[in-house]
Amino acid sequence: MGNLPEGKHYDSIEKGSGMDNKEYTLHLLRQMIGNEKNFRPGQWEAIEAIAIKKQRALVVQRTGWGKSLVYFLATKLLRDQGAGPTLLISPLLSLMRNQIQMAEKIGIRAHTINSVNQDEWARVEEALRIDRCDLMLISPERLNNEYFLKQVLPLISGRIGLFVVDEAHCISDWGHDFRPDYRRIVRIVQMLPRGVPVLGTTATANNRVVADVQSQLGPGLSIYRGPLVRENLRLQNIRLSSQSERLAWLAENLPKFKGSGIIYCLTVADTERVTGWLKKKGFTAEAYHAGNDGNINRSALEQAFLNNEIKILVATVALGMGFDKPDIEFVIHFQRPGSVVAYYQQVGRAGRALDKSYGILLSGNEDDDIQNYFIESAFPTSQVFQEILNVLENSEELSLDEILAKVNISKSMLEKALKLLEVDGAIGQTYNKKLLYFRTPNPWRLDEERINRVLEVRKSELAQMQAYVEYRGCLMQFLLRALDDPNPTPCGRCANCQGKGLPNVVTQGLIIEAENFLKNNQIVIQPRKQWPNGLSPNQKRIIPQEYQNAVGRSLCYYGDAGWGKLVRMGKYQDGHFSNELVEVSVHMICNLWQPDPFPTWVTSIPSTRHPHLVPEFALRLAEALQIPFYPVIRRTKEAPEQKTMQNSTMQARNVMDTICIDQIIPRGPVLLVDDIIDSGWTVTVAGYLLRKNGSGTVYPFTLAQASTRNGNA
Amino acid sequence: MIISPDSQAILLLCSHLATSSSIKHAPLTLREWNSLARKLQFLSIRPGALLEISSDELKRLLEIPEEEAKRILHLLQRGGALAIELERLASMGIHVLTRADADYPTRYKQRLKDSAPILLFYAGEKALLGQPGIAVVGSRHLDEAGHACAEFVGNACGRSGMVLYSGGAKGVDRISMNSALAARGTAVGILADSLEKAIRDSQNRAAISRGDLCLVTPYSPSAPFSVGAAMGRNKLIYTLADYAIVVASDTEKGGTWAGATEALKSKWIPVFVLNYPQMPQGNSLLLKKGAFKFPHPFPENNPNLKEWLESHSTNTKSEPMQPNLF
Ligand SMILES: Nc1ncnc2c1ncn2[C@@H]1O[C@H](COP(=O)(O)OP(=O)(O)OP(=O)(O)O)[C@@H](O)[C@H]1O
Ligand SMILES: [Mg+2]
Ligand SMILES: [Zn+2]
Repeated sequence: MGNLPEGKHYDSIEKGSGMDNKEYTLHLLRQMIGNEKNFRPGQWEAIEAIAIKKQRALVVQRTGWGKSLVYFLATKLLRDQGAGPTLLISPLLSLMRNQIQMAEKIGIRAHTINSVNQDEWARVEEALRIDRCDLMLISPERLNNEYFLKQVLPLISGRIGLFVVDEAHCISDWGHDFRPDYRRIVRIVQMLPRGVPVLGTTATANNRVVADVQSQLGPGLSIYRGPLVRENLRLQNIRLSSQSERLAWLAENLPKFKGSGIIYCLTVADTERVTGWLKKKGFTAEAYHAGNDGNINRSALEQAFLNNEIKILVATVALGMGFDKPDIEFVIHFQRPGSVVAYYQQVGRAGRALDKSYGILLSGNEDDDIQNYFIESAFPTSQVFQEILNVLENSEELSLDEILAKVNISKSMLEKALKLLEVDGAIGQTYNKKLLYFRTPNPWRLDEERINRVLEVRKSELAQMQAYVEYRGCLMQFLLRALDDPNPTPCGRCANCQGKGLPNVVTQGLIIEAENFLKNNQIVIQPRKQWPNGLSPNQKRIIPQEYQNAVGRSLCYYGDAGWGKLVRMGKYQDGHFSNELVEVSVHMICNLWQPDPFPTWVTSIPSTRHPHLVPEFALRLAEALQIPFYPVIRRTKEAPEQKTMQNSTMQARNVMDTICIDQIIPRGPVLLVDDIIDSGWTVTVAGYLLRKNGSGTVYPFTLAQASTRNGNA
Repeated sequence: MIISPDSQAILLLCSHLATSSSIKHAPLTLREWNSLARKLQFLSIRPGALLEISSDELKRLLEIPEEEAKRILHLLQRGGALAIELERLASMGIHVLTRADADYPTRYKQRLKDSAPILLFYAGEKALLGQPGIAVVGSRHLDEAGHACAEFVGNACGRSGMVLYSGGAKGVDRISMNSALAARGTAVGILADSLEKAIRDSQNRAAISRGDLCLVTPYSPSAPFSVGAAMGRNKLIYTLADYAIVVASDTEKGGTWAGATEALKSKWIPVFVLNYPQMPQGNSLLLKKGAFKFPHPFPENNPNLKEWLESHSTNTKSEPMQPNLF
């Protein structure tokens, strides 16, 4: 190779004018990210392995190292050689806009096909047809999607030039992120003919995971592994047991950061709560999660955050892997994640292009409860699997809703079970106006060993994370050891190395304010607008506007510290809700909520098991509100507890069958009282009957809301 | 599923999986593949070696024109899409055999030679393909005698451990297959249309998962029914079996007639035709063309139908082993 001087501009040089591959690739890299830049150690080697030597490679490099660059550059080289487009399989829904722009600088046209960009599909298909697509991003689920397989894949006419598996640690059961779909990827890679290069990338694979990935993808896989240390990251752990202390800590310490940052929470409810508090304290913060039936426009939030229009994103893990904003100053965890690897991934969003950044882990009392809940609900039970298979065996094909009408499990659990069964080959899917599932002739048996193995891994990861929180030595070193970094040394920057950091105590006044915030935090009950699918064949799905409830309120989340505890005690110990609950309910209704027009009477939903509990509370509440109480709703027969009814169809049917109402009821607006709202079907049906019988506006009010701990949302 | 490099190359060159009508280079036809295979065999090159060959080498070795070499190379690059599609089929329980596989039924190679299908897609117990057995063919519409005959043969197969071969369609096929399976026997259905659809039928599914049934087709697993396909498939029923019994046939038209006359001419196996006073005209014409008589009432008290068929027919042709084409 000719010794070209550093910093020379190569823009005019075309390949073939005497440059070797490495020089040419460096030239491309500089076109992408700047003229003064060079390969990071290992980048060229990985590119050479796949694009020149056509090997299979696994690249294990720290977050923010530039793994995306490797497959962009490799794609370019392969396309120059006349190869087909790259197929990039990633759990991320979309490539970051800035990454696509980066790729475009060297003429790479990247496209994606996913469930939310249907309006672009025709354009993508056209690009493939005329060979104007260089890189196709899909999620693992697409590999079993009939549209993709029958319409899109043939357009690539099979010429996949490079097969990229992003977040390749998901291949291994030992990995922290079990994704059944990745098993399909393994089988596909095993069937690929020699000569199709394969690239796996991950930042988070310990030795055991690397070995497992290697054994599954075949001995021909070469490993490119670099140090995982993040030199600009200052780690610190702070234990503050109550939520109010942690909220107060945030309010007190966030102003110390000039830049933007992420606050990770474990549940959707927590992101909303923290966001509410921060907004109240004058920060520009937004909640980011996949809950709320997708009401949140995630890509708009990402964009606003990238542009620094939002200072703080309060996010669940939905804001995850691969999110590349170079100037994130801090990543704060409001609650402790379930594993060291997940923590490394998340904290790795910080400071990719800053000299100094902070990773602060707050942890509290609720962490273990939540994590244990995640572990317990990670897999459907064997009985659930069997019921689903029985239902499918007795028919040719069924939609999701049709299965839900026959099997008593929640939709999210059913989806989990279907995915596992599908990857196991026990069921298949087909499309006929809607997605249909059918039983395949493949024999199936629950792989309990595998499930237990995954659960064991989760438990030991949790234990390791607990140890991290307590650790007194260098925190970065702890993380590096856990990830089997080849050379873990003390970082000299973390709070433990430095012996100082942000304060781990908070001003008492702020704590009380946060406590009040939590108490007064209004939890809204959104009215249901539709009956569930499959409830009854002649039932129109839409609930007529005039029979819908108004927006209601819950006093607290069930099981929360604070009022949640009083509600639980009232329901399961004392058989009586305390006067304190009456007082705070009045305060919430009259001072915070102020429904307008104000209700002129109160009614309640009794349960056959505790016939007096709720009416008796409602009576006291009515007295305190100085309006009358009329018990017009009755239960016809013993209904199984709503929480044992696991999905909407079953829940609504359960309520319909067991509730009835007096013929003659007052006309005015009414406060409809229940103790705990779970599915929302009880108050929906009760409200519907009230309106039908001539009441005014129906305002549902419940003492607590059973929070769905939607961890992956 | 592990696919050998030879099979991989054959699939890449010949299968229509993961293709669309708009693509530039069509997969090889049976005839095209045969001529390529013969060349490879002559040069002692395994098909799998094609996976790692350059375009120049290809042209030189095979002495083929530029355009043809391009087509072959292009087809060989389909590995990615093919792997994805094969994985999906496998997860539904559908697998593939090529002529290069050891498990490919030898009877096809012996009896059909070059016209043995290059690829077979199957669901179920592949060891059944080519086990001793009896083929039952006939039109979909049956009279009482035909119905009884289909049942009788199916049942006899089931009880004597013979495989019941049929086209896996409605009518004769279904009746005979069901009675074979009901008698705890085994069956093979050689389909002319969508295998993907057939495995969703709950009866089929149950028999497949017990290991009693194998459904097989030379066509793409999602292919819809076509008359041409049904015609091409007929010989695949006869050539897997030891004996064939034609229950009812039209005259000079229809798949049963075409298949039976082809079988009589090719002399792969002895062909019997159900013989009774009110039999369809096609039956009597086939008997005139040399088919053996299958009596009504049936040979009930014979414990083993195969022995009866053997003693009431003359051996057709010896089956010399000869080197065969992958
Ligand atoms: N050789 C290089 N020199 C300087 N900057 C680079 C280099 N390679 C990549 N980068 C920059 O580093 C940033 C992070 O890159 P990228 O998103 O590819 O990281 P990653 O390894 O995929 O991280 P993650 O594990 O989080 O997905 C990008 O903004 C990219 O422009
Ligand atoms: Mg990345
Ligand atoms: Zn340190």
